[in-house]
Amino acid sequence: MNLSIKNLITFKKTPLNLLVAVIGALLLAAFVAGAVMYFLHGHHAFNVTRQHPWGLLIAMYVFFVVSSTGLCIISSIGHVFGVKEFQQIGKRAIAGAIITILSGFAVIALEIGHPITMLIYNVLTPGLTSAIWWMGTLYGIYLCFILLEFFFLTIKVDHKWSKIFGIGGLLAGLAAHSNLGAVFGFLISRPTANGVFYPVYFILSAMITGCYLIYIIYGFKYRNNYPDHLKAMFLKLNKILGMLLGILIFFEAWKILTALYGTMPERAETIMYAVTSPNFLIGELLLGMLIPFFIILFTNGQAIKPMVYASLTGMIGIFFMRYDLVHDTLVYPMTMLKRSEYQLPPTLLHYFPSPTEMMIGFGGIGITILGLYVAEKVFNLDPDPEH
Amino acid sequence: MKVEISRRRFLQGSVALTVAGGVSMTPASVLASAAKVEDIGKTKIVATLCEMCVNKCAVYAHVKNGIIKKLDPNPYFPKSRNMLCPRGNSGLASIYDEDRLKYPLIRDGEKGSGKFRRATWDEAYAYIGEKLTKILDEEKDNRSTVAFCAGEGMAEHTFKNFYTGFGSAHFLNHASLCLATTVSGYSLTIGGYGQSDLENANYVIMAGANRAEAIVTPDTMDFFKRTKGRGAKLVTVDPRFTNTAAKSDKWLGINVGTDLAFVLALTYVVLKEGIYNKDFVEKHFNDFETYKNHVISNGYTPEWAEKITGINADDIYEVARDFMKHAPQSIYYQGRRTTWSKNDFQLRRAQAIFSALGGGIDIKGGICFGKKIPMEGHEVPSPIYDQSEPRIDSTEAAVVGGSGTWVGFRNKVLEGRAEYPIRALFNYKHNPMQNMPNSKKTEEFLKKLDLVVTIDTMPSDTVMLSDVILPECTYLERTDPAKVYGGIEPAIVQRNKVVDPMYESKPIIDIMRGLTEKISKPLFEITKKYDEEVQDAIKEDGEEATYEEFDLTLAFKQTQEELNHHAVSKHPGAAESLHEKGVFYPNMDKWFKKINVNEYEYYPESEKAYSVRNGKFKTPSGKIECNLSSLTKRGIDAMPTWKKEYEMVIPDGQFRFVTGRHAQFTQSGTANNKMLLDLVPTNYLWINKRVAARMGIKFGDELEVASSVGKTRIKAYPTEKIGLDTVFFIHGFGNYSEELTLAHNNGGRDSNIIEDSIEPMHGATCLHDTIVEIRKV
Amino acid sequence: MARYGMALDYKSCINCRACESACKAENGVLPGRDNYRIWVGQKEIEGQFPKLSISSLTYQPSQCQHCDNAPCQQVCPTNATYYDENGVVRVNPEQCILCTYCINACPYDARYIDDRTVTVDKCNFCSDTRLANGETTTACQATCPTKVRTFGDLDDPNSDISKLLEKREYKQIKEHLGTKPKLFYLL
Repeated sequence: MNLSIKNLITFKKTPLNLLVAVIGALLLAAFVAGAVMYFLHGHHAFNVTRQHPWGLLIAMYVFFVVSSTGLCIISSIGHVFGVKEFQQIGKRAIAGAIITILSGFAVIALEIGHPITMLIYNVLTPGLTSAIWWMGTLYGIYLCFILLEFFFLTIKVDHKWSKIFGIGGLLAGLAAHSNLGAVFGFLISRPTANGVFYPVYFILSAMITGCYLIYIIYGFKYRNNYPDHLKAMFLKLNKILGMLLGILIFFEAWKILTALYGTMPERAETIMYAVTSPNFLIGELLLGMLIPFFIILFTNGQAIKPMVYASLTGMIGIFFMRYDLVHDTLVYPMTMLKRSEYQLPPTLLHYFPSPTEMMIGFGGIGITILGLYVAEKVFNLDPDPEH
Repeated sequence: MKVEISRRRFLQGSVALTVAGGVSMTPASVLASAAKVEDIGKTKIVATLCEMCVNKCAVYAHVKNGIIKKLDPNPYFPKSRNMLCPRGNSGLASIYDEDRLKYPLIRDGEKGSGKFRRATWDEAYAYIGEKLTKILDEEKDNRSTVAFCAGEGMAEHTFKNFYTGFGSAHFLNHASLCLATTVSGYSLTIGGYGQSDLENANYVIMAGANRAEAIVTPDTMDFFKRTKGRGAKLVTVDPRFTNTAAKSDKWLGINVGTDLAFVLALTYVVLKEGIYNKDFVEKHFNDFETYKNHVISNGYTPEWAEKITGINADDIYEVARDFMKHAPQSIYYQGRRTTWSKNDFQLRRAQAIFSALGGGIDIKGGICFGKKIPMEGHEVPSPIYDQSEPRIDSTEAAVVGGSGTWVGFRNKVLEGRAEYPIRALFNYKHNPMQNMPNSKKTEEFLKKLDLVVTIDTMPSDTVMLSDVILPECTYLERTDPAKVYGGIEPAIVQRNKVVDPMYESKPIIDIMRGLTEKISKPLFEITKKYDEEVQDAIKEDGEEATYEEFDLTLAFKQTQEELNHHAVSKHPGAAESLHEKGVFYPNMDKWFKKINVNEYEYYPESEKAYSVRNGKFKTPSGKIECNLSSLTKRGIDAMPTWKKEYEMVIPDGQFRFVTGRHAQFTQSGTANNKMLLDLVPTNYLWINKRVAARMGIKFGDELEVASSVGKTRIKAYPTEKIGLDTVFFIHGFGNYSEELTLAHNNGGRDSNIIEDSIEPMHGATCLHDTIVEIRKV
Repeated sequence: MARYGMALDYKSCINCRACESACKAENGVLPGRDNYRIWVGQKEIEGQFPKLSISSLTYQPSQCQHCDNAPCQQVCPTNATYYDENGVVRVNPEQCILCTYCINACPYDARYIDDRTVTVDKCNFCSDTRLANGETTTACQATCPTKVRTFGDLDDPNSDISKLLEKREYKQIKEHLGTKPKLFYLL
């Protein structure tokens, strides 16, 4: 551990480093500004409405915790399941998992109206039938586990305990994350969300997100110039990711087909809207799935550098998946009746995030960048020499 | 106090009927102020009456710490049937409106500049007195140079006592802008406007009347519980699909202004087919054969009417036959705001005759006349001023009644055709700037006057063009004259003060008392100067005795509570009941019963006044009058007749404008009400969807609506609920007054665009005879 | 203990919206587009002038359905939404964390954020106001010109609502979701 201020503020002033530094600083500033707006105006600073009560912040929270869970799962391939090539990424991945979930918590703290009340009544009057209660509680446990895991990986190195907490973290993460899927899956009022799909899909997309983030984190660290032991890991990761993307495409295709089939009211209309929107076609499908998938497919899983770039588009795609998950779930109004003579008949709802939501939501990425930077500086995230 | 009937007033006859005559044997409990602030924290409930519209529904006001927290329905009034509409609920926003008039104001700048200076009540009274004496001196005591106008209300009468004592010939109110034609059309035909018994009617034609939105008690509440296949059939005839249309069995989208052709065709069918109530017609119709021949020989067939009204002949046959099948429990509903077009009086006559052909007059389920409960009168001086000239607007229409023809009056003054100058106006809670068509002319008219005194609660457009503004308190802050509401289930009701008047506002009776104390004597001096009769009388009886007849203060000596107590003094327990419950009718304690959680019984069935005429209607012949030949010499058709000139051509690309109401607003009076604007933030122009699409107009687009007299701006509401050549928006919006912070410039203003023509019978306004152009801005 | 419900003779509704203003005044609901506990729904009319479908335009007064199996209650992480002992579904603002999950979960759009407490609010059959004062009607029921609503105890066979539901057929909204609503629309 190196906690000196000097160490913290010195870095190589390469153009890429500077660019990331500036972006990180801007995002952090945006987060702070957004937080100030929120404290001044409350929910009125957001473009969420009675009919569309969740928006970008929920999407970004999901984005962060999906990232965290994904990193946790991918890291566990090495130090929980013992796949050798993946053991080297363990510490950095767990650090990333911790940082991303903290970023997520920072964002959700500004979305939940009364976070302190939440801490109190989560314990005093737990809502055991609530997926949010389970999700929140399990993520709390998950965070404790991965923090301990990280402690035993870097500060007080103890492989037995790091493995125990690694397994605990993985299980809590999987449980928490599928419960996050269930937050949507349990909505009986929302036919496109209701059902088994989201809890399972969330785990799948978390794994994909984990892969993308490993590419990006290592791509940035090694400037696309990898030692052999990393190349070996990436080649395996390519195969895993290819398979995961294949499954995801298969899942999505059947979700869409079953929802459209028979044109059930509400459900079919919602999915039709969802799959014809540019968010889905360009964001989710092209950037999030097809580009990485085809690179892996056409290079027989041999491409590493292109996959780093494809992971950037992949993460943009993942963002749209999270955004659409929230928006598409809520897009169909719960009543299609007019409430006043002087209005247009209700249609699918419109939502676009407000500046404050964007500042808080995207500003959260600044927290992640800062966190990763600090972690790199303070801890040794590379494999221990004796390993 | 007892005012002797003088020679003079005896000659004048019963011009002034009037309430009051102070008695002070009143129990202290009754006189005790209803507004005394109760123990802190406790809720006090005061029974009073609503004034958000004309219906006067009974209300319970919940008061806590001197503040009215909530208005609830008070179940005791048979007319209001235990309910409060959205406006009734929003009375809270009316009393606590920050824009209210708070203290007397005197104009301090150009007229219309909106500049006023705050004055004390005494200053304001003195200012009025000074101006008035000067005007009357210059006009040699021609009292009619001062006109009086008033909005509808329980205290209108108090103000009218001032007018009566003042001696002007000019009283103007909403009648010629509202219901003059239907009231007289029915009265002259069947001997009364009557009350449609919608609790028992089985078949009702509502043409132009929109009872689901323009709420009238008890009609609205009685009827819509029974529509939609639950006992009463409803045929709605309206150029737009209203909420009433939504409740009907049949809706006929008629061409604007052609209802008379529709009714004549209905009449044709029943006469031709002989399906009318022959027994009733034989006993009760006067000149039936003449009318029958008139209708048949003129060929008013459904086929003929189809071309004019746009309603299928088949529908007309069906409605005519159904109507008679259900008769006598069939009603052609009278309607209320019936100032539509030139043929309006004849239309109401035709409706009344058609209704009577089924025999549904003075009978359960038909049009009933009901009973009144007698009240004690109160005499006030109604002196004769020899210099006072007759009304100037009586030449403007065939029969101009006591409430005048507002537009006829205004236009005659503006056009310089008046026989003598009109120089001042006393205005009680009336807003001619908004309620009369052609605002430009009204503005010019108000500016032309030397003195405009307006008594009101809100800074309306008319208030802003006044010289002196006297702030009245709202209805929740005053006790108003007790009044009897006659009908099938009659009752006396009384508005009780709930809380003390806010700011420096006062009830009208206090204002009248203060004003008359200041100006009565000086005005009498003018009369003395010019009135030879008065000069003679002084010589004969002495000045004091003569003045007593002219003493304007006499009508306002007592408090309203005292006057009310006297008015019901013949009914034991009435004063107490009016104070506690706001309502009284004989045997109320016995008959008033709760039926279920929502409904009450007021009178046992056997005591309801369905039939009261005993076969003798209140018309000259005692029968249903088909043929009013006496009208021909005044240029009015003796029988309803369709004329080619009634068929208005709407040029391509233009529209005929109609106006109306929603349940959330009462004309311009509620335009600044926060609670109501929360329900409906502004008015919109209804335009046919297909036409709008062709013109590229989308929902919410800003439009300019222009006619030959002016223009206004409003947002678009494309809808299929209106025909291709018609547009509509509700009245009361687009206020000029900047002092109305919510209503100022909010929405479209119909008084800017409606042309100011009047119909020939009473000089009532034709509000639906305007052609407009529309463009996107 | 009582089990409160409401029957709505909705065909009598004239869409005057008195219930909305009475509710707002009674319960201090703030003005604003999204702030309402109750409302009157209507469909856009079908057909073209002058051939319009009267039956396509009915008015549907609505509010919280006080489901016996309330999705909003199930999803609440802190049990802020609870069933009162009289069956009224209520929110305790003390416990509400404003995650708005319940707003998403309610199939009836019956919930919104109250800016006074900055927590989720909804119709509670005037529990805090009228019922607390011993009254037996809700503000919306009492004020209604055509007496659409009958509020009362479903467990009391002699209550007006029980007698109504015994006689009259009714429909319920989205009952296929298994919410067991306690608002009954009389046919």
